[in-house]
Amino acid sequence: MSPVYLSGRGLACALGLELGASVASLKSRCDATSFYSLPGQPDVRFPYRSIACDKGDWSARACQLVRRVAYEAGAQHIRGGVLFIATSSFDIGAVEQGESGMDYKAFADKVASWLDWTGPVYLMSTACTSSLNAMIAVHALLSTGELTDALVLGVELDNRLTLGGFAALQLLTRHRSKPFGVDRDGLVLGEAVAALRFSTREVSSWRMLGGANVVDGRQPTSASASAVTSMYQRALANSGLAADAIDLIKVQAAGSPGNDAIEAQGLRDMFQIIPPLVSLKAVIGHTMGASGAAEVALLTACLEQGVWPTYADAVDDILDVHLTAHQPESVHRVMATILGFGGGHATVVMERA
Amino acid sequence: MRNFSITGRCLAAPPPADWREQLTQLLGAKPRRIGTWAELGLYGALSCMADAGEKTLPPDAILLLTSRRGTYAATSAALTQMHNDLPLPLTFLQTQPSQLLALLAAQMDWIGHACFLADAQSQDLLRLATAQMGGGGALLGCVDETNGGSTRWLRLRHDVTEKYDFVSIFSDWMGAAE
Repeated sequence: MSPVYLSGRGLACALGLELGASVASLKSRCDATSFYSLPGQPDVRFPYRSIACDKGDWSARACQLVRRVAYEAGAQHIRGGVLFIATSSFDIGAVEQGESGMDYKAFADKVASWLDWTGPVYLMSTACTSSLNAMIAVHALLSTGELTDALVLGVELDNRLTLGGFAALQLLTRHRSKPFGVDRDGLVLGEAVAALRFSTREVSSWRMLGGANVVDGRQPTSASASAVTSMYQRALANSGLAADAIDLIKVQAAGSPGNDAIEAQGLRDMFQIIPPLVSLKAVIGHTMGASGAAEVALLTACLEQGVWPTYADAVDDILDVHLTAHQPESVHRVMATILGFGGGHATVVMERA
Repeated sequence: MRNFSITGRCLAAPPPADWREQLTQLLGAKPRRIGTWAELGLYGALSCMADAGEKTLPPDAILLLTSRRGTYAATSAALTQMHNDLPLPLTFLQTQPSQLLALLAAQMDWIGHACFLADAQSQDLLRLATAQMGGGGALLGCVDETNGGSTRWLRLRHDVTEKYDFVSIFSDWMGAAE
């Protein structure tokens, strides 16, 4: 199997228009929350982590962000490689504005044309686990040695349908995201465009060892503890690691009353000693299909620069898990997890040289 | 490219007139509140599994699903609902293609790797299936509810003895969908 390296990263999110700016904003504790009102809910304002980028028509804004982020990741060097676009909402924002119809192929072609992409294009949509599943697919494809370069592009941009759907399901907080928090009451959604460039040719300080995606359909809108456990077991097995080899886990912990408790139970069931945990949802929001790539980009950069999120809210003691307040001293192997709609549970394993 | 054998198939494009009755038989009850696209997916996948003589997939099997238009109808309905109010929760859930993956997993009492890849090309889907497939093989599907509806499924297992040109066969199978 060919080793698969994370050779480039790019990120636009509520913290900034590029990865470096995002890490700097996180370091300076910059809070970038905006608010959103929805039809039929005139008196309710939902917090939202939007990208500070000029509003125009949806596609022009998306094009600007995708190009910028892909360039930051070095996508211009691998245009003949494999492109995975990962999203839960496609270009529904453009549909809402009357700019385009609902057409997967047209969306994929549009994004590929923005990047002058010449290689194969996949459009992965497994709700919130989309970009982690794209990473897992890329790892499998590149490991065979038949392909050498790939770009995972997570795209989740402003649209009313996603916010309206989450509001209808009563999953959103009106306050702030409280990962594993004692009085957590829902999610804060956010926008992100994230690019991860993978290569078997270009050795870098981060290597992807593997990952696992487990769909458990018994609870199609929430996680299950047994699936969380199965996901970690499978990911460790296909990465060739034991549980005690993991130095840090980036958890989902989006502030959901039910799912945070289920995730915590899965962690307790899986690990005799739970590794240090970190959550990034409070700083960039839950960016759904882009969240896996966005949080891997942000986490790896934070680890390199010694920047760490702070948590404003106390963790719920009942959950018996803790978010580590400081960056652990020695972090070589990291798992990054996303749980989502459709019974999706996905995690990836990254190793730092 | 590894060799495969096709151990089960369902090619219903369009589906037979009584496909809903057949689906009810396969499920043991009428499906409720899941939308036509998901119903077509369930019908095709379960028919394919029955053709393969299996009720569920092995834990290390993979399930890959593609579609040209996917949840087009449910998404249109949700957008219409959003004109004046929030979408209905079930309508919003039906806009997510991954809901079909969950339904299939639940129906087969299976927990495993499943993904939806929108409008995947045959060679790309086969390349990914080959790279990700474990010893349990794969269940591949292509489902659309537009233009009269179609649901195409193949159950694949590794088979080192097979000599036929699987790439060509697979492209033909997908070809009708492209």
